[in-house]
Amino acid sequence: METSVLEFTAPELHFGTISPLLTVALGAVLLPIIEAYLSRRKSFLSRPVTRVWIGFMLSFISTIFLAIALMLTLGKLSVPQAEVAFNAAHPMIAMDGTAHFLIATILLSAIMTILVSGRYLADVGANYGEYYALVLASVLGMMLLAASTNMIMLFVSLELMSIPIYALAGFRRLSVRSNESAMKYFIIGSFASGLMLYGMALLYGATGSVGLAEIGTKFDPESVLHLLGAGLLLIGLTFKIAAVPFHQWAPDVYEGAPTTVSGFMATAVKVAAFGALFRVLSLALQPGIESLYGALWVIAALSMTVGNVMAMIQRNVKRMLAYSSIAHAGYLLIGLIVPGSGGYSAIMFYLLVYTFMTIGAFTVISVLAKDHEDKDQIDDLAGLSVLRPFLAFVMAVCMFSLAGIPPFAGFMAKFQLFKAAIQASTELGDSSLLWLAIIGVLNSAVSLYYYLRIPVVMYMRDPEREADPDSMAGFERLVLFVCAAAVFVLGIFPHDVFVIFWDVDVIAVVSEAARSMLP
Amino acid sequence: MTFGEIVHLVINEQNLFIFFSTVAILSALGVVLNLSNTVYAALSLVVSMLALAGLFVMLNAEFVGVLQVMIYAGAIVVLFLFVVMLLNLRGGEMAADRQPFLKLVGAGIVIAATVKLTSLLGAARSNPSGIQKDWMPVGPEFGSVRDIGLVLYTDYLLLFQVSGILLLAGIVAAVILAKQKVD
Repeated sequence: METSVLEFTAPELHFGTISPLLTVALGAVLLPIIEAYLSRRKSFLSRPVTRVWIGFMLSFISTIFLAIALMLTLGKLSVPQAEVAFNAAHPMIAMDGTAHFLIATILLSAIMTILVSGRYLADVGANYGEYYALVLASVLGMMLLAASTNMIMLFVSLELMSIPIYALAGFRRLSVRSNESAMKYFIIGSFASGLMLYGMALLYGATGSVGLAEIGTKFDPESVLHLLGAGLLLIGLTFKIAAVPFHQWAPDVYEGAPTTVSGFMATAVKVAAFGALFRVLSLALQPGIESLYGALWVIAALSMTVGNVMAMIQRNVKRMLAYSSIAHAGYLLIGLIVPGSGGYSAIMFYLLVYTFMTIGAFTVISVLAKDHEDKDQIDDLAGLSVLRPFLAFVMAVCMFSLAGIPPFAGFMAKFQLFKAAIQASTELGDSSLLWLAIIGVLNSAVSLYYYLRIPVVMYMRDPEREADPDSMAGFERLVLFVCAAAVFVLGIFPHDVFVIFWDVDVIAVVSEAARSMLP
Repeated sequence: MTFGEIVHLVINEQNLFIFFSTVAILSALGVVLNLSNTVYAALSLVVSMLALAGLFVMLNAEFVGVLQVMIYAGAIVVLFLFVVMLLNLRGGEMAADRQPFLKLVGAGIVIAATVKLTSLLGAARSNPSGIQKDWMPVGPEFGSVRDIGLVLYTDYLLLFQVSGILLLAGIVAAVILAKQKVD
């Protein structure tokens, strides 16, 4: 065998295409090294090195990496160019408008999470520098997941997203709840990964290819093997977005995990998983969409109903928000079965709005944590308007928006979603989508009960304890302000959002982005 | 007859196959029958895995062979040993749990697999070239370390690098959860 000389044609690589990914990957690899370096120093630049200071430095550095990636992504989003694949011979990912929009949303969620984490982690005694490296690694996985067009890439990026989050959920190592949360999420998540991998193996065995687009050309909706593979693949992804009946883990995990991590899980994971669902459904399973329509319809209707009904009886705000996130996954699934790009663009707008309002709500809860304990019972919020007026105001805005009351952004997002469903149902003359929209509207009415209970408790009950000293860090104030402002602005002027220097028509951006993905 | 010829007479392909197969089967039996000491059972699993790796290498699948040694004989059996030693199992406890129903099921599976395997071997005999028309043709280098390396560093470059970061994230995650010092 004459193989001593390695002859091969080097692939043509375009690193500019994946510059945001490279930035985050660099951050994820460098941060553990920086952490190890800083924690071995007694002093740095004539400052004494303390754990809190290290945490602050690491959050600062990781924010810079994420902010650079966000700038690069927004630059690519605002100037749509002809798409260049990273490795054209074997495209594993598609960095199109959809991917860039979802990546920008993921990065926003990650930046806000990291900014509010430092003080909270120190407060609950979990101030380890690895937190930031794990968040960045997970963000890299999410970015890839939202862009992947290949089943192998889909699986590896799903794992890269999940494994750091399993650890983040158990980050409060002295808290039994946190350990339980991590263990549950890990076991159920691994189970979901296993099912998904089995589905992928079946699809590969049946079609002979791992690329989603190639599977789409060979997919045969008549064959049991194809449908079984598609079903298992979808089960794996619906586990990640916590849709009923694959939702049981969510309340326990969100309740036990550190509050900032719960906010990150509720938003960024959902955004990335919906990105994967977009591609799986629009590329690979498009020929079989008729057969899968019924299952997705039932999952959407069940998620909305079960999420909202269960949220009504919760006493813990984090559990309530977990059930609310299940319900929102149901609303979002409506957009997924609307044919054409209208549903996808409505989902993307919804995900952006949902990120702001959910991070805002979880941040309020994380700010309230005191003496190594979360103050996350609804009764703990009594009289908050007197004790901490700003926190109460932001929480109220987020709750109104989650409930979908105009003029907040939650209303605009739900309006877009239901509008897409109703339009499609009149165009196709198919009343099932109309019924789904009706179930959605009825559920929004039900959700008013539990969302409005929180403003009622905050504004109409007398405080049960004395005012805490206001220990909020500047970053937390900033994030809360940004969330509240975004909820107002996206709700009132979605066509004319003013971001520092630019006027952005968010609705136009999402519809452009959604069209870029479809062939 | 030179020394080289004698060596070749003893160590040729057929003898190697017989050697590896015998070792694999005997050590596999050792895994199942070694009820008195589970550590010995785990160790005979290592031997079985090593013999299988030898068979893979003989089939020109060096990469799978190396993986077999590294992952199965190395990592997984070490994991088994950890569990066995942590749980501190005694021989009698294991044997008492065996149920006759499970034994019957096990015997049924073994018999079915043997029958199927025999019929497959019979089919292979009647078609000695072993080539079916609709199978995907592969080159002579298929599965070699060189081919796999080339594919990993060209077509699947991005995936390969991402897997590296996945492993790093896994190590960081494991270390942070398992750190002894609580402060």
